[in-house]
Amino acid sequence: MKWNEQDIEKYLSAKEYIDTVIFPLIPFELSQDSTAGKNAFASEVLAIFSSEIEKELTGRVLLIPGYNYLKSTDKEQEVERINNWVNDIKQQPFQHIFFLSFDSTWKKLENTLDGNFLWLPGFQSGDVHSEEMQVLIREQVKQIVELIRSYW
Amino acid sequence: MSEEKQQVSRRQFLNYTLTGVGGFMAAGLLISPIRMAIDPVLKPSSAGEYANVGLAVEDITTEPQRVDWKIDQVDGWYESKVSKSAWVFKDDNDEIMALSPTCTHLGCVVSWEGNDDHPNQFYCPCHDGRYYKDGTNIEGTPPTRPLDLYDHKVENGMLYLGKANVRGEA
Repeated sequence: MKWNEQDIEKYLSAKEYIDTVIFPLIPFELSQDSTAGKNAFASEVLAIFSSEIEKELTGRVLLIPGYNYLKSTDKEQEVERINNWVNDIKQQPFQHIFFLSFDSTWKKLENTLDGNFLWLPGFQSGDVHSEEMQVLIREQVKQIVELIRSYW
Repeated sequence: MSEEKQQVSRRQFLNYTLTGVGGFMAAGLLISPIRMAIDPVLKPSSAGEYANVGLAVEDITTEPQRVDWKIDQVDGWYESKVSKSAWVFKDDNDEIMALSPTCTHLGCVVSWEGNDDHPNQFYCPCHDGRYYKDGTNIEGTPPTRPLDLYDHKVENGMLYLGKANVRGEA
């Protein structure tokens, strides 16, 4: 389910079945010419990824709006804010939180994040609409779905 | 003499030409709004349209296989390509069946024999919903109605699928 009125209404009437949150962490930084394109690409692919995962597991996961952060920011401060989101989410009966990101710098702070952090390696640039990319993404999504299911 | 020969007077000639030119101008101005106004009528309706799913009928077996295809969908604000899927197989009467993979409980994607403990059934990974091969939901699992059934037709040996129909409670 997604963060829109229709889905949320459905969620509210079937709360006991939906126990997992997908929490994408999306990088933003416009100041550096050299990395801006890469960051834009990462957020594009991450959006596709999370919506594909949501599509497979609609009935049990809630995909929340992505958390945008400044790439160069102090991550520890961000962790605090993210955990505030998680505290709010946990007011509802959610059991599992999965953070999704291509940014490996979160990995070090994994223990401070209140949930499971999934780092997805290997997407730097390319054409997201190309046939090969679609196959690649579909394969990866399949594996992430398996991983999420193993937590249930 | 000359009066009789002159069948079109100067006044008449001017009248004709001016109305003619004016008429063309008016027509030119009106044609686009009119075209716009009737445009929706000219468009073929996309609801219930059949799409070629890229599967030859001779390749359909009694074992359900998954087909994926894309359709154009206009959805309020967006026009987008929407991916669709179906589980296609031949039933005991050799009839083609195309079932929607969307679980009727909360919309996860079901798969054929998705769980080793339940062979010959469709299985939903989210809440262990199960369906028999014909799509009928199994009593005691969360789904409350059978999987939706696609309209299908065969043209030139290829399978075409239309819209998915909701079926009644089991």
